[in-house]
Amino acid sequence: MQTTTITRMTAAGAPPKLSRFARWADRNFKWLLVAPAVLLILALSIYPLLFSLVVSFINYDFQVPGHAFVGLKNFSRVIFDPVARWSLFLTAWLSAVSVAIEFVLGLLVALTMVRSFPGRGVIMSILIVPLFISPVIVGQAWTLLLQRPFGPTNYILTQLLGQEVTIGWMTESPWLYFSLIIADVWQWTPFMFVILLAGLTAIPPNLYEAAELDGVSAWQAFWAITVPHLGPMIMLALTFRLLDAIRMFDTIFIMTGGGPGTQTYTASYYLYTVGFTQFHLSQATAGSWLFLIFTAFVVTLLVRRLLKTEPV
Amino acid sequence: MAAVAPARRRKRRSIPFGRILLLGFFLIFVLWPLYWMFNTSIKPSDDYLTVPPVWFPSAPTLVHYKAALFTYRGLDGLINSLIISLSATVLSALLGTLMAYSLARYNTGGQHLSFWVLSQRFLPPIGIVLPVFLIYRQVGLYDTHVGLIIAYTVFTLPVSVWMMFAYFRGMPKSMEEAALVDGCTRWEAFWRVAVPLAAPGIVAAAVFAFIACWTEFFFALILTSRTAFTLPTVFRAFIGFQGAQYGEAAALAIVSLVPSIALGVLAQRHLVRGLTLGAVRG
Amino acid sequence: MAEVKITGLHKRYGTFHAVRGIDLDIRDGEFTVLVGPSGCGKSTLLRTIAGLEEISEGTIEIGGEVVNDFRPRDRDVAMVFQDYALYPHMTVAKNIGFGLKARKMPKAEVETRVGEAARMLGITPLLGRFPRQLSGGQRQRVAIGRAIVRNPRIFLFDEPLSNLDAQLRDEMRGEIKRLHQDIATTMIYVTHDQIEAMTLADRIVLMRDGVIEQQGTPLDLFERPASTFVAGFLGSPRMNFLAGTLALSGSVAAIRLSDLLLPVAPGRNLDGATDGQAVLLGLRPEHMTRARGEKPAEGMFRQEATIDLLQPTGSRSYATFRLSGAPVMAELQAHDVSRPGESLPIDINMSRASIFDALSERAL
Repeated sequence: MQTTTITRMTAAGAPPKLSRFARWADRNFKWLLVAPAVLLILALSIYPLLFSLVVSFINYDFQVPGHAFVGLKNFSRVIFDPVARWSLFLTAWLSAVSVAIEFVLGLLVALTMVRSFPGRGVIMSILIVPLFISPVIVGQAWTLLLQRPFGPTNYILTQLLGQEVTIGWMTESPWLYFSLIIADVWQWTPFMFVILLAGLTAIPPNLYEAAELDGVSAWQAFWAITVPHLGPMIMLALTFRLLDAIRMFDTIFIMTGGGPGTQTYTASYYLYTVGFTQFHLSQATAGSWLFLIFTAFVVTLLVRRLLKTEPV
Repeated sequence: MAAVAPARRRKRRSIPFGRILLLGFFLIFVLWPLYWMFNTSIKPSDDYLTVPPVWFPSAPTLVHYKAALFTYRGLDGLINSLIISLSATVLSALLGTLMAYSLARYNTGGQHLSFWVLSQRFLPPIGIVLPVFLIYRQVGLYDTHVGLIIAYTVFTLPVSVWMMFAYFRGMPKSMEEAALVDGCTRWEAFWRVAVPLAAPGIVAAAVFAFIACWTEFFFALILTSRTAFTLPTVFRAFIGFQGAQYGEAAALAIVSLVPSIALGVLAQRHLVRGLTLGAVRG
Repeated sequence: MAEVKITGLHKRYGTFHAVRGIDLDIRDGEFTVLVGPSGCGKSTLLRTIAGLEEISEGTIEIGGEVVNDFRPRDRDVAMVFQDYALYPHMTVAKNIGFGLKARKMPKAEVETRVGEAARMLGITPLLGRFPRQLSGGQRQRVAIGRAIVRNPRIFLFDEPLSNLDAQLRDEMRGEIKRLHQDIATTMIYVTHDQIEAMTLADRIVLMRDGVIEQQGTPLDLFERPASTFVAGFLGSPRMNFLAGTLALSGSVAAIRLSDLLLPVAPGRNLDGATDGQAVLLGLRPEHMTRARGEKPAEGMFRQEATIDLLQPTGSRSYATFRLSGAPVMAELQAHDVSRPGESLPIDINMSRASIFDALSERAL
């Protein structure tokens, strides 16, 4: 314990005075910290956006010389292009179906993993693996499984069903949509699973114990306890996933190349083709602005709400 | 009470049959494509089209790996990917940490600035990449390492900023205040106290930035060509499988997914924060 | 060594007005305790002195110099935080020397000073350890060591004992008091605990809703509370408040409860009071005792009481009874009462009683 008398030492005084630059830096510290990141984002995100806004109102077509102002022509070209409308429709449809399947499957798997059991850690590590794989490789992996004649899928189905199966998984509608969806589901169900599992484990277990003592059935407990507690997490998982799903490009590029014809054009793929294989750059930027506005609308709607109900 | 307790405990331990079945199916679903890819990568070309398929090659071979890395320039892509991903990761973690600290401790720019950064994460890349392509062509950054490093830094910044923002928010600020009273400038309090304490968070943010860069395809496809091309873009060579390079594609895929999976599984503890940009602590 | 002078201080957070007009003079070497319920602005006030919060209005002077625009580093003050805020990635020695290093002091001198401080605090064996390897009491000593190596002009304490268990808290409180006796530096100490305030302070500044309710020596505040708030805040168990009216006739005054008339001690100043004024009579539990002898002493009012509730603590017994219908707690000797339901005569020391206006709740 404190036995010695404490005596005062000589005063160390205040630290050395700061130089003028140091004083200025200390005063503007918070702005100096954000400056590099903000400038970089401005340079590589905001400036290109503004630049592209200009491009979308002029002629910037590698096949037509000159940069004349063309008004809304680039926009109208996109809007009246049936392929554009089809690609937007397909984007919405594919994202909705994929995300819905991922959600249901992710929730089911999460429910099986809430309580600890031997081997849970290992299984967890395996289940999250798809999240760390490039979508290009995911597309490649499913191509290897599905493509005729190399892929083993038709052979396995033939054995299971007892009759000859010869499906062109990557070339025949509707099977090619199934292929795209299964690749997406394979990669992103773990996303749902991980977030929902985090939400589920955060629910205090004594709520379930209390419900059990009250004689509530497991199904009733799910609706009365799990669903309301999981609400914000579900919202978050769906928002994040949906916003990524509508950009779907990589797997299409690898698996179907948009084909056959334009049957698997998503919005991103459509704009890519217009810009980089047909070199109608102005038309592509105009289209991407329309797509951007569409996304911004969804982002503002979903993310603003998320920020308000910030979970945990 | 004593009679009831053991029964209930037993019920809690066992997993119902339906759950085992579901989990089993899902595990097979996850592992099957990976196994088939691996199988393909070591399978001699003669085994490709047999009926029934060869489930495991009797004479495994590494020829596809050799071809993928050298004939298809997979090794160049691998090296480019390493250079670009590592550089962008360091930049992104550094700038993200700086910005996140300012947002978390000084509430810089209120909610608007942080929301603006977050919204960058959700911009569709197609909207950015066209004009960036045109600008890069003009300023000579097209198909350069530097060009893609800058693009990847910006593209991963929102995640770094938000992960670190959440991390700093969860850290008591009294230690930095003690440093200020002890005689530090704001920078010293940040650099000598806050940063060392946030090191685990910074590492986690860096891991996720690296994985994002390593697996990215779209920017690389458009902003690079014969020089700065990254590993994922090498797969363009296998589209359509002219000449049936199944083994090469599979071999390259296996090479490419090892680093990101290893890092990802190691950083598993931070996965929830990484996926939700720090919104959920996990 | 410095005095502190605060004038017209305001602090607003957006629309929230945390500190609303504080004037305070703290003399050199004084131990001042800022005390009050949570949210009263005491911590904010302390943090403005440290420079950790900017002020919205007013001035703060340290040692005769206005420091409003000074960074925390330039104020030459030291602060002990509630969680001690030791740097977890540095050893105890590095923690204590951190402030000196920031002053670009030569390494050798830093080491000498750190060694000296550690010796005085009895923590020399801990110098190589990290904060997570220390107990609560050891952490506090390191936090104090971090301050004394610099010999700052002012020590600031922000509820340093609130994370400790009861026994350690008493011990550490003693150490802080001894520290002040030894080095006599100006100290400003924030707490919500009235015992800490009473035991440590040369002067208590009792705050409520961003303003100073009353300031003075501990005994001043305890014996002459300016309001029911102060009276109720200091002292445990709490002061009893009884609603009544003032009965004045000539030089004799009394307080009328519903069916009792308690004479006010003669000589008590009741200037400005009027007959029939609604008042609150404040009786501290320790000012009621079991009556002994035939007649009550001068200034005592004797009343027969039936004990409803008895809470023995060992050394004392808290006995609750009804006085004119209202529950009142008295602090009796351990063996004065043996069980509830017992009746006994109680002497109420009216010369120590406080009287407050019922409306304004200010002392008469």
